[in-house]
Amino acid sequence: MAKPKVALYWAGACGGCDVAVLDTNEKILDIAAIADIVFWPIALDFKYHHVEAMEDKSVDLCLFNGAIRTSEHEKIARLLRAKSKVMVAFGACSCFGGIPALANFTNRAEILERVYKEAPSNANDNGTFPQTHTKVDEGELELPEFFDTVLTLAQVVDVEYFVPGCPPPVDLILKVVDAFATGQLPPVGSVIASDKTLCDECERVKEEKKITKIYRPHEIIPDPEKCLLEQGIICCGPATRGGCGLRCIKANMPCRGCFGPPPGVADQGAKLVSAIASIYQGNSAEEIAKMVNEVVDPAGTFYRFGLADSMLKRKRIEQAEKGG
Amino acid sequence: MKAARRIPLLKKMLSQLGIEDERVRLEWVSASEGDRFATIVDGMTEQLRQLGPFCHNGGGENG
Repeated sequence: MAKPKVALYWAGACGGCDVAVLDTNEKILDIAAIADIVFWPIALDFKYHHVEAMEDKSVDLCLFNGAIRTSEHEKIARLLRAKSKVMVAFGACSCFGGIPALANFTNRAEILERVYKEAPSNANDNGTFPQTHTKVDEGELELPEFFDTVLTLAQVVDVEYFVPGCPPPVDLILKVVDAFATGQLPPVGSVIASDKTLCDECERVKEEKKITKIYRPHEIIPDPEKCLLEQGIICCGPATRGGCGLRCIKANMPCRGCFGPPPGVADQGAKLVSAIASIYQGNSAEEIAKMVNEVVDPAGTFYRFGLADSMLKRKRIEQAEKGG
Repeated sequence: MKAARRIPLLKKMLSQLGIEDERVRLEWVSASEGDRFATIVDGMTEQLRQLGPFCHNGGGENG
């Protein structure tokens, strides 16, 4: 029997998900033994035209990491979808937008203005901005279009499975490969992680969740044994799916939410607003104002990895800006 | 009393997302204050009518 064909791709991502695949260490040889890797930009020299030449549905498994940030990402997502039997949104960016989707608090025009004009390190006196098409002596050059809004993979193509995490931990990667190799893939649409919240899996001592001050992580050295929320540090554990192996918690850092919402939670940010406001003690106007003030950046904190996948998906575009 | 803390924090978050402040309101009304309840709902409805339909442009490229 021919070996199953596997494709890996990075879209709007930092490369950490690909490194996580390499972090499987000697297990990567097992993966190579059971599968033919037919496309993997970070590691192998295949080109887009090689993928285009493949027959539809000839790739058995595609691990797609990164958010959809440019027209190139969208094009390759559609291409790989057509060629693949099983499409996996791999990593927080692909599943929920991830860190790149924090750009949904702004828009294309503001980002280009900042990066190519305002940033103090720029020397761009000619006001050169990237163009999708540029004529030069040798012909026309083309760059992908930079989208206004960062999208998740599932907002562009159908996705069979979701493997969250920034990046997905090695044990989950091996779980996917194992399930695939043994033909024991879960029902389509499954998130391959835990069905509990991070709090349910957390081993820290939990007593009573009542706080009167919120600390930012740099303002306090937390007790490594006690619940971080109870120490006044915003931890996204109550509204984040478990299965990550408590990597941040074990490093004495709060959960930042990269596994996305747990089952039954539609909007991670709204759930975290509810959780944090619930445990804060004080009902007077002054105390409530103090709490609101201490949560310095609620949207950025509670939607750190999930803005593109949230109910609102992005900051509202003013009607006047639309189409501009 | 949790609502009294949740709504101000939610409003701060929604303002970061560009949602108009007037679209979320918290009022405390007793079961015996029927007239006041009706007045508040009428006021909110009128305010929303002036704001127009909510459009968050969240779907697809440029939505």
